[in-house]
Amino acid sequence: MVPGLQSLALPAIDCEFFQPSAYLKIDKKGKVTIYVGKQESGQGVDTALPMIVAEELEIDFKDVHTEIAPYGTLKEGEHDTGGSQSVMTMYTQLRNAGAIAKSMLITAAANVWKINASSCAADNGEVVNTNSNKRIKYGALVCQAALLPIPKEVTLKNPKDFKLIGKSTSRSNLNELLTGKTKYGIDIKVEGMVYAVAERCPVLDGVLVSVDDTAAKKVPGVIKVVSYKGTGAPMHVRAGVAVIATNIWSAMKAKKMLNITWDEGKKNKETTESLFKTFEERSRLKPQLEVFKKGDATKFSAKNEISASYSEPFLAHATMEPVNFIASVKGDSCELWGGLQLPDWAVNTVSKECGFKKENIKVNLALMGGAFGRRLHFEFAIEAVRIAQQTDKPVKLIWERTDDIRFQPYRPATYHVLKAGIDDNNNLAAWQHHVLGTPVAYMTDGPGAKDAAEMDGADAGFCYDVPNINTGYTGVDFNINRGWLRSVDICVNSFPVESFIDEVALKLKKDPLQFRLSMLENKPDFKTGDAPGAAIQSPARVAGVLKLAAEKIGWTEKRKPNHFIGLATHSFIFAKSYAAHAIEIELLGPKKFRITRVVAAIDCGLVINPDGMLNQMEGGFAFALTQTLKGEITVSDSRVVEDGFFSYELLRYDEMPPIEIYMVENKEEPGGVGEVGLPTVAPALCNALAAAGYRPRSLPIRKEGFTWV
Amino acid sequence: MPNFTLNINNKDYSVEAESDMPLLWVLRDILDLTGTKYGCGVASCGACTVIMDGNAVFSCQRPVGACVNKKIITIEGLSEDGNHPVQKAWQKARVPQCGYCQPGQMMRAAAMLGKNKKPTDETISSEMSNHLCRCGTYHRIKEAIHIAIEEINK
Repeated sequence: MVPGLQSLALPAIDCEFFQPSAYLKIDKKGKVTIYVGKQESGQGVDTALPMIVAEELEIDFKDVHTEIAPYGTLKEGEHDTGGSQSVMTMYTQLRNAGAIAKSMLITAAANVWKINASSCAADNGEVVNTNSNKRIKYGALVCQAALLPIPKEVTLKNPKDFKLIGKSTSRSNLNELLTGKTKYGIDIKVEGMVYAVAERCPVLDGVLVSVDDTAAKKVPGVIKVVSYKGTGAPMHVRAGVAVIATNIWSAMKAKKMLNITWDEGKKNKETTESLFKTFEERSRLKPQLEVFKKGDATKFSAKNEISASYSEPFLAHATMEPVNFIASVKGDSCELWGGLQLPDWAVNTVSKECGFKKENIKVNLALMGGAFGRRLHFEFAIEAVRIAQQTDKPVKLIWERTDDIRFQPYRPATYHVLKAGIDDNNNLAAWQHHVLGTPVAYMTDGPGAKDAAEMDGADAGFCYDVPNINTGYTGVDFNINRGWLRSVDICVNSFPVESFIDEVALKLKKDPLQFRLSMLENKPDFKTGDAPGAAIQSPARVAGVLKLAAEKIGWTEKRKPNHFIGLATHSFIFAKSYAAHAIEIELLGPKKFRITRVVAAIDCGLVINPDGMLNQMEGGFAFALTQTLKGEITVSDSRVVEDGFFSYELLRYDEMPPIEIYMVENKEEPGGVGEVGLPTVAPALCNALAAAGYRPRSLPIRKEGFTWV
Repeated sequence: MPNFTLNINNKDYSVEAESDMPLLWVLRDILDLTGTKYGCGVASCGACTVIMDGNAVFSCQRPVGACVNKKIITIEGLSEDGNHPVQKAWQKARVPQCGYCQPGQMMRAAAMLGKNKKPTDETISSEMSNHLCRCGTYHRIKEAIHIAIEEINK
């Protein structure tokens, strides 16, 4: 660097910053801010996405400052966060954003030096004159760059030149996270803010008859008690009575003193027991919807037939940060603060339900202390606005933990009937899978919704090469709200599919690994539909992760006495990722076990931040182990029975086995990693238990009498 | 409303609050020390853990009236700039995902190591099992605690 070069070389143009797109800004002092368009809830998009920009921009990641992209600065739909789609869908766009900025900075420097841009290169936050080796910092070029036209086409780096992508990188806000400085939605304070908690109708779609708030109003700090109406689809806000107070503690105390009478409606006697009875009865009939058919498994005349049924319960998201939201209403406009995975849908719905023009709704997105799909739903935002409409101050609504567990949009309960037809050569020739569930779509779109089938992994994407396949779905209505939970129906369907494949292998006295591979290896990739965007399914990659997991756990090696291994594999089809688990248990007594080894194998194409991927696989395992062992929401009189962490138990430190993660390395486009680590955990563990002599067919396995240490 | 003097992070604060208000809400809503988290309010998750007179306690279970004449440390006061051995270990092991439960987890680990520089695996396990992490970072918490133990015994 030549001393004084910047002031000598640059004409006197002034500006504050250079912002060629919504994704990044460089100010005069050289501070680089990268805006994260996807909502962070622990999945690491606040690091992986900026890494992609920084790679092309040629800037040291430690010099990058990251911020949430303010709502409205991106195209409609682009703030949406879910389905492990963030890296996949943003990869090329963010590379372009970095490359465009870099190209403009290079042009600006070339103009300063009066040389050709091809004689300039970007390196570590500076443009280098490759003839003279002179350098100018990005910050000194921003005012020149800001005047340039944005190039329509730029050259992206050759991936073999990547310096940052593919290197484990610490979270961009790690220091704030570890010093308590991070502000989640629940930590936000707005000038003049008051606090609220609410009591909700215990039965969905019930209405308020009367409330006696005499005692509640006497609690010091209480400002007022207000009621609000519920809504139907899509969010099913429950009718509620809210206590508004100067502080949350007063509101919580006063809530306990409310004396409320509800009209619960007619659907107030449902139970999970009766739901599973309905499933069982209905499963004897043909599926309501035929979802996928190849050949005809129903007409196949099998030498013998194997069948089994499986069931899975309702589940709650139970994010560590209890649901909360802030709303402020002034005249015909409102301002919102909080975490939302689908902010556009939230704004549209708040507009409709609460009577604000869309352009009069301002949204301030916040960091989430876990989401797992919980904040794809936003009934809490509608509640907060309805409460705020009844006071002149901004209101922070907090759901107590009991509210969180009792009033969720729950992961649907399902029942699965599977049938396998075996041909004369002892091969699997026919496969039938009837899924019975309580679909999310009945909640978001209304009962009888046409696209209700929750069959990912059991539809056209079923990856085993079986000549005759019939899979179908039957939706059953049930009076609690449902929603999308991490790994959604791929996880739900992997448990029965991968358990039943294992059952068939054992019945046929075939090695479960070789049996699977015989129906996966050497099978060509296929498209799952005719639509242009239909997913590509790769049986070879499903086999690849399975083989890796089996090899690493020593599938063919001699095992210690009372040790058993279970395998499971899958394609997380809509996120272009594949994973398998191999789990070893030691049987300690009848139905009593210890997990001795967990091996996970993942193929997610190019990995942006390997450490982020590992964290997702480790955490995904813990999340899935919770639901394999003990996660269950039960319903009695149309009310959820569980009301907190003592009754809805989550995995704890002392229950976490060590986990090893291996990666299939390839040059495929990046896939998603947030959900791929879950679906094969339950079937791998259950297949290990089956190898030990006990086949679990319903989750959580605690219900079937299993215990673990 | 009653007035209380609380010693938090080696500084005296005068707060006005109902005497039954849990320390958790005093910290968060009155003093704006929001590093201490609300998770359940019933001692089931550990998110609200602070150190009081050297012990890890659930701040959701301590009425402010019972917190005077105590030395209270919150995550904001665990170290000057994030350099407590536990924070450094958490950084090295890259523990957090969403990070919401981690202040509580670190306060528990710091209190444990403050009393016993070489806790057994059983002690670590029983202490840390007071806490929930829905992201499932237990694997890395274990790694971090062992990094911290090594560091403080150097």
